Amino acid sequence: MTALLAIERLTVRYGEIVALSDLSLEIGAGEAVALLGANGAGKSSLLKALMGLARQTTGTIRLDGEPIGDLPVHRRVVRGLGYCPEGRRVFPGMTVHDNLAVASARPARQRDQAVERMLALFPALAGKAAERAWQLSGGQQQMLAIARALMTEPRLLLLDEPSLGLAPRLTRELLDRVRDIAAAGTAVLLAEQNVAKALSVTDRAYVLQLGRLVQSGPSVELSQSPAIQAAFLGG
Amino acid sequence: MSLFAALAAATPTLLARQARAARAWLCHGIRLPLLVGAGLLILYPVLFGSPYHLRLLTVSGVYVLMVLGYQLIFGQAGALALTQGAFFGLGGYATAILGSRLGWGFPATFPLSISLPVALAALIAVPVLRLESHYFALATLGISQILLLVAIKWEALTGGSNGLTGVPGIVLFGAALPRGWPLLLAVWGMVALGAALAWRITRGRIGRAFHLMRENPLAAQSVGLDTGRLRLVALLLSAAYGGAAGALYTHTMRIVSTEILEFSVMVACLTMTVVGGRTSIAGAILGGVLLVHLPEWLRFLDRFYLIGYGALLLLMIVVAPFGLIGALERWRAWFVPEALPDAPPPRAPPARRPAPDIARDTAPLLAVRGIDKSFGGLRALAAVDLSVAAGEIVGLIGPNGSGKTTLVNVVTGVYRPDAGTVALAGQSIAGCTVHDIARAGIARTFQNLNLVDDMTALDSVAVARRHDGDLAAARGHAMALLDRLGIAAIAMRRCGGLAQGLKRRIEIARALALEPRLLLLDEPAAGLNPSEQRDLAARLRALAGEGLSLLVIEHNMPFLMTLAGRLVCLDHGQVIAAGTPAEIRRDAKVIEAYLGIVDDAAPAFGGAQPA
Amino acid sequence: MEFLQLLINTAALGAAYALVALGFVWVLNATSAVNFAHGDLVMAGGFVALALAGMLPLPGILLLPLVLVLMAGLGLVFSLLAFFPLKDRPPVSVFISTIALGIIVSNGASAIFGAEPRATPPLFAGGVVALGGLPGGLIVSRQAIAVMLVAALLIAVQYLLFARTQFGRRLRATAQDRDMAAAIGIPVDRMIALTFALATALAGAAGLLLSNSFFVSPTDGMNYMVKAYIAVTIGGWGSIAGAVAGAFLIALFDVMLPGLPALLPALGALPGADWLFSQTVATILLYVLLLVILVLRPQGLFGEAVQRRA
Repeated sequence: MTALLAIERLTVRYGEIVALSDLSLEIGAGEAVALLGANGAGKSSLLKALMGLARQTTGTIRLDGEPIGDLPVHRRVVRGLGYCPEGRRVFPGMTVHDNLAVASARPARQRDQAVERMLALFPALAGKAAERAWQLSGGQQQMLAIARALMTEPRLLLLDEPSLGLAPRLTRELLDRVRDIAAAGTAVLLAEQNVAKALSVTDRAYVLQLGRLVQSGPSVELSQSPAIQAAFLGG
Repeated sequence: MSLFAALAAATPTLLARQARAARAWLCHGIRLPLLVGAGLLILYPVLFGSPYHLRLLTVSGVYVLMVLGYQLIFGQAGALALTQGAFFGLGGYATAILGSRLGWGFPATFPLSISLPVALAALIAVPVLRLESHYFALATLGISQILLLVAIKWEALTGGSNGLTGVPGIVLFGAALPRGWPLLLAVWGMVALGAALAWRITRGRIGRAFHLMRENPLAAQSVGLDTGRLRLVALLLSAAYGGAAGALYTHTMRIVSTEILEFSVMVACLTMTVVGGRTSIAGAILGGVLLVHLPEWLRFLDRFYLIGYGALLLLMIVVAPFGLIGALERWRAWFVPEALPDAPPPRAPPARRPAPDIARDTAPLLAVRGIDKSFGGLRALAAVDLSVAAGEIVGLIGPNGSGKTTLVNVVTGVYRPDAGTVALAGQSIAGCTVHDIARAGIARTFQNLNLVDDMTALDSVAVARRHDGDLAAARGHAMALLDRLGIAAIAMRRCGGLAQGLKRRIEIARALALEPRLLLLDEPAAGLNPSEQRDLAARLRALAGEGLSLLVIEHNMPFLMTLAGRLVCLDHGQVIAAGTPAEIRRDAKVIEAYLGIVDDAAPAFGGAQPA
Repeated sequence: MEFLQLLINTAALGAAYALVALGFVWVLNATSAVNFAHGDLVMAGGFVALALAGMLPLPGILLLPLVLVLMAGLGLVFSLLAFFPLKDRPPVSVFISTIALGIIVSNGASAIFGAEPRATPPLFAGGVVALGGLPGGLIVSRQAIAVMLVAALLIAVQYLLFARTQFGRRLRATAQDRDMAAAIGIPVDRMIALTFALATALAGAAGLLLSNSFFVSPTDGMNYMVKAYIAVTIGGWGSIAGAVAGAFLIALFDVMLPGLPALLPALGALPGADWLFSQTVATILLYVLLLVILVLRPQGLFGEAVQRRA
C-alpha cells in the first residue's frame, strides 16, 4: 500500500544554515503522527518544505505516489495538504465566517453548509461567526486556524506547534480535537514541543535533533523512553 | 662607485617597482574603466568646444552636484526622500531673488542659497524623519508641492509662473564669470569639492554606519548608533548640495521659473541616482552626464524625452538595481575575481573604561524587577525578576514562546515594559532608547543574525567602535577583536558567504567592540557543530573571567550546562525556576514546561524525577 | 442656496475621489506597495474616454463599460511591468518602478493628445436642472447628480464584490496575508493581477467621471495621486472606510474653500480674497493639513497605528 506521504532524503537550507538533513519518513492515510524536537530541530522547516514555503530544498516529496516538489503552494493544497502554521495567522480583518468560507473550494451552497458544519464541530467558535478574527482569544484563533485548514478538505493536515502560547488547559482541549480529526480519517502531522501531550494523541512519532531524525516509533513506546528527556534537557 | 653611478644603476629597478605598483593600483576594482571614463569626460569639452556642448556639460555638472547630495539621503541613509527638487528650486530662487531683485553678489547669495534649504530641512526633519518609508516619501512630496504652489502664487516675490529674468552670472571680486569655459570650470570645481566631501564622508566611519543603518536599523542601534541623528545629518547635507546646485543652475541659465520646482526635476534626480548607482560617486557623475545628454540623443521624442527617462528608470530598477557602476563592479568581481586585500594589523584596544564605583559583591550589575509586557491581549511577560552579577554567566531557558527574546528586547530597549524596572549598575534604563542602552554598556547578539551581507567581517566589527578617532584606528581594534575570537583569517571576507559559526563569532566580536559590561547572547550555539560549541563556550568563559557579565538564551542544554553558573527558566512569560544547572535539570516544573505532564492516569516519564 | 449647491458639488467630487482612493487602497492592501502612478491612471481613464468618444459618439454612461474593460487590461499590463518583476525586492523598488511608469503614461498622453485640457462628454446630458420646492429654487448641474449616482453605484458594486462574494473574500485574504492565502489554496499571483486590474478600472471610471466638469490634461496625475494618498492617510492606512471618508474630506476642501466668498460675502471683501480663496491655496492648505496629521496623528482617523522607525 502506497503511503499517503513519502519523503525521501529531504534537505532544507536557509542560506548557509542546514535546517534539515537527509530526512526520510512516511505517513499512511488516516494516521496521526507526532514530530518532536527542541526549537531549531527542524520541525517547522519540514512542514514548510512540505507546503512549498521553503526555497532551497533537495530530495523527493510524494503525495499518493506523485511527486509534488515542483508544485507551487496553492496547488499542493488542491492535492490534499492542509496547513496550520505556527502563530495561527488567521486573516485578522475578516470575520470567522469569512475565514472559513474563503478556504473552501466548493460551490456556494455546499460551501455554506460546510461552514455551518465546521462551526458546529468547534464549540469555541459557535456564535462568533460574525466577529472579526483579530477580536478572538489565542485559543479561539487556534481553533479557527485548524478549522480553516480543515475547510480545504485535506487528506493530510500539517499542524505547526498549535499549543504555542496557549494555557495548558486549552492545549489539552486542542490536542483532543486533533485526536478526533485523525479518527475521522484525515491524516495529521503534528509538530510539537509539548512532548507528553503530543504523544498522547498520536499513533507514531518522529524525533528530530539538529535537523536529523534521531528516533522514531509508536507513541506509547517513546513516551516511556529516557532518551527523549535527554534530547530536550541534556545529558 | 660614485653616487651618480649608483643612482643610475638603481633607477631601472625603482622605475620598475613604481610601474608594478601603479599597475596593481589600476587593476583593483573598476579603477581602470573609471580612469578611462574620467579621461573621456575631460577630453569631451576639449574636442567639442562649442558653446552648446559647454553649456550642456555645465548643466550636467549642476545635476551631478544635486545627485551627490541626493545620494547621501537616498543611497547612504536609505530614505526615499522626495525633497531634493525642492532644495534645488529653493536654492535657485534664493539666488535669483537676491541677485536680480536686491543685486547681491555671489559671495552673499551662494551661502544663502545653501543655508535656506538646510534651514528648511532642519525644520521638517524632526516631525518627518521618524515616519516610516511611504509616509516619509509622502510628507516630503507634500512639502515639495507646497513650495511649487507657493512659488506660483506669490508673484510679487517670485514672478509667478513667468519667473524672473536678469539673474546675474557668478560675480567674483568684481568680475562677472563669462559663459563657456570659465563657468564650466567653476561649476565642475564645485562638483569636485562636493565629490571630495562626499568621498570623505562615505569612506570613513560614518559611511560604515550608514551602510549598517540602511540594511539593518535595529543592529545599528544595538551597536550604539543614533540612527535618527544619522538620517538628520544626511538630510541636511543633501539640502546643502541641492541648494548649491540650484544656485549654480540659476547662474547658468540666468533666469528662474517655477519649472525648477516641478516634480520632473525630482524625477530626473532620482533617475540619475538609480542609473548611476545609489552610493557611488562615479555613478553620480555618470548618471548626471548621461541623463542630461539623453534628451539630445532622443531628439525624435522631442519634448517627450521624459518617456525615455521613465523607460530607462524602469529598466534599471528591474535589471540593474545597483546602477551602471554597481553592475560594472559586479561584472568585474564575477569575471575577473581578484584576491582579497590584506587585513590591517591588529591594534590592541585602549584599556577598558573603568567601571563606575560600585561594590562588586553587593549590587547586581543588571537588576530586572517585576517586568510586565503585553502585546494586544497577549501577555508576553508577567512579573519577571532577574539579576546578573558582575562577571557572572546566567543562562535563560524556556520552551518556545515563553518570552526569552521578549525579555532581552525589554532589557535592550527595543520594547518598553508595561510595568517594572530595569537597572544597570543601579541606574534605571527602562524607557531609554536602544542606542543609549548600548552606549551605557549592554551589548547583544541576535537569534537571526543581523549582519550585513556585503560588509566585510572587519568593517562589521569596526562600525561599533564609535569612540575611535578614525576608520583606521577602528579597523585596528576590530582586528584585535576578531583575533580574540579566532577569526582573524576571514577579516576581509564579506559576511554574506560565511558559515553560521563564523557569522556568530563576528556578531559576538561586534558586540564586544562596544566594550560592554553585560553581553546578551541569543542562542549563540544554534547551527554550530559540537567542536565549535566547545570552542565558543571556552571563549565565553574566558571573557567572563575578565569581568564581563553574560546572559545567554539557549535551548542547547549540553552547551549551556558547561557554561552557566546559574539558570533561570521562563514559561508563558513567568519565571518558574531559578538555580544551578543541576537543580534546574531535576526541577519538576521545568520538566513539565518542556515535556509536558499528561493526567496522572498516563505513564510517567522514564527518567524524570520528582522535585 | 449656494451652500446646498456647494454641498452637492462636494458630494459629487467626493464620490469621484472616493473611487480613486479605493483603487489606491486595494492595491496597497494586496501588495503592500504604493502605486505612485495611480493618479496618472485616473488621467489615462479620462483620455481613454476621450478617445472612445471621438470614435463613438455616445454619452459618457455608455462609454463607461468600455472604459472599465480597457482600463482593466491596462492594469494587468501595469502589474506585469511594475510589480511582478520586483515582487521579492524591497518595497522602495516598486515605488520607483511605478514612478517610472507614471512618467511614461503622463508623457505618453501628452504626446498623443497634446497638453491642452480637454473635456469628455457628460454622463447623460449637460446643462442644469431646477429642483423646485425650495425657496429660490435649487439649480443643480445634471452632471453633478449623474457623477454622484454613478460613483455611488460603483462603490456599492465594489463593496458587494469584496464583502459578499467568494472572489472578494479571496482578494481580501490575499491582501491580509499573502503566504497564508496561498497555503489555503488561493492562487495569489492571479489575485494580485486581478486586484491591479480592478483598481485601474475604477481609476479609469473616476477619470471619466471627473473629466467632464474638471477637464483632463496630461499633468493631472500628480494631483490625483497626492489626493488619493492624502485620503488614505487621513482615513488610516489600509482602511477602506477611511479612504472614502478621507476622499470626501478632500472634496470639502476643494469645493468649500474657494466657495467661501460666495457663501460669506464679507470674506469676499477682504483684501487679497481672490488670492486666498483660490484653488491653489486650497491645495496648499490641504498639503499643510496632511503634514499636520502625519505629525500629530499618523494613524489617521480610522486606521491602525503607523509604524515608527525603530
